[in-house]
Amino acid sequence: MQKRYVLGAGMVAVIAASGCATQTQAPAKVSEAKPAEAKPAAVWPEGLPKTALYNPEGKNKTLWPQPVKNSGELKYNEHARDLSKWLTRDPADMRPLPKPMTVSLNGQPLNGDAARGKEIAMNTGRGNCWACHALPGDAQPGSSGPPLIGFKSRGYSDDMVYQFVYDRRAVNPNTVMPPFGAIGNLSDQEVRDVVAYLQSLN
Amino acid sequence: MKTTHKTIGLAVFAAAGYASLVLAAEPYRESASDATAMPPSVEKDHTNTYPYWKDRANLPALGGKDEWKLNWKFRDRPLNDQLHGGDEAWDRGEALYKTLNANGSFAACLGAPDGNLKGLRLKYPMYSDSFRQVVGLEAMIEHCAAKAGAKLMNGSYDNSAVSVYVASFSNGMPIHIDVSQGPLKESFERGRRAFNLKAGRNNLACASCHVDMVGNNLRGQTPTTMYGDAAHWPTWRGKDELQSLHVRLTECDRNAGVQPLKIGSQTYTDIEVYLTALSNGYPYMVPSMRD
Repeated sequence: MQKRYVLGAGMVAVIAASGCATQTQAPAKVSEAKPAEAKPAAVWPEGLPKTALYNPEGKNKTLWPQPVKNSGELKYNEHARDLSKWLTRDPADMRPLPKPMTVSLNGQPLNGDAARGKEIAMNTGRGNCWACHALPGDAQPGSSGPPLIGFKSRGYSDDMVYQFVYDRRAVNPNTVMPPFGAIGNLSDQEVRDVVAYLQSLN
Repeated sequence: MKTTHKTIGLAVFAAAGYASLVLAAEPYRESASDATAMPPSVEKDHTNTYPYWKDRANLPALGGKDEWKLNWKFRDRPLNDQLHGGDEAWDRGEALYKTLNANGSFAACLGAPDGNLKGLRLKYPMYSDSFRQVVGLEAMIEHCAAKAGAKLMNGSYDNSAVSVYVASFSNGMPIHIDVSQGPLKESFERGRRAFNLKAGRNNLACASCHVDMVGNNLRGQTPTTMYGDAAHWPTWRGKDELQSLHVRLTECDRNAGVQPLKIGSQTYTDIEVYLTALSNGYPYMVPSMRD
């Protein structure tokens, strides 16, 4: 993490002395695993605030609460994915946020697959583009962003569309659009697939 | 944590380097549009929808694409007299309350020493001397129930049921939380920053949808303004869930791709204070129901 480099020696000593730097680690379940395949101990992700609803020993780890009728207990379920690597709303969360990034194909071919791109764009758990944009064949179009039907006729270069999807903030600093590539939401290949899909829309 | 001589010495040593720590370690952050006007009240609704809720005669007038402006999703009474799961929860809350308050100490713990619940809901969120921080009603219910020997976890059905029961005695009374000074002001400011902070895998703030995209389609839903919202919690959801505000915030976070925080956490309480202040002037109305 960046901030370590600017800590004075005094602060490092205070943190060490107060024990804040130590992380509680769950013991490895040696009794359940063969010695050669012993799983590493579940670790609380570095920098994730302790207020996070998170079980490091779970599969998807991120948790959500569900009330049970006529009960004073709260049931906790696992979310569809682990959300811990991204910034939370807790102000104690000091982890870095990637700044707007200018990207380019650098003259190389896009190598994106339009069919895969459609699966990413029209999937709430992945790109979720349809939440804000109207896409062909969707019965519940989003209207928060401009419609993308007939996108091909806009005549943008692959390079420009790659930038839009990878990090729209570099084009419009006030955008609401997620910086899919810069923030690690979609992989570089997934971004390329979405670009190929968009560039195929008549 | 006991302060030892060693720690004091190191703290002094560290203080010298504190300025550079503050200046250099402030991480890069992004915010969405902040529509909050001071002092906060439902009259300051940036989407100008309050005139429609305020004048009940306007309710049937808007339809179609503008229907979201009514914030009608909560089905305020007495205009909607349909019975729903929230009423069932009220009955449960009444039964639990009567058991918990058999000797009057539960009500006193909540802040009604004479057992009169009228207006009690409007005192929350409040700064609590026993917690040494700002807390919401559900957190206090959990605390006071534990003192009475019962487990009513913050966010659980039973806790929300008691919250609905207690809050119903303030129905029709306008919210009027003072965030101009003290711990409530600090909590309001933190809540305001948290509401506008971009976070999660989609880099979205609460305000991204509820200020920047309000009134637009987010697939099949239309995000509504946050003004007037706080007067309706806990609410009964159409998916048959009695939902408290903090539980709802975990759902909002998940929908936006943000790691949810603990029920009763300071951040969620701060957002609760922020939302409550933005509903200053709106009459409390529970049990409510929404989609």
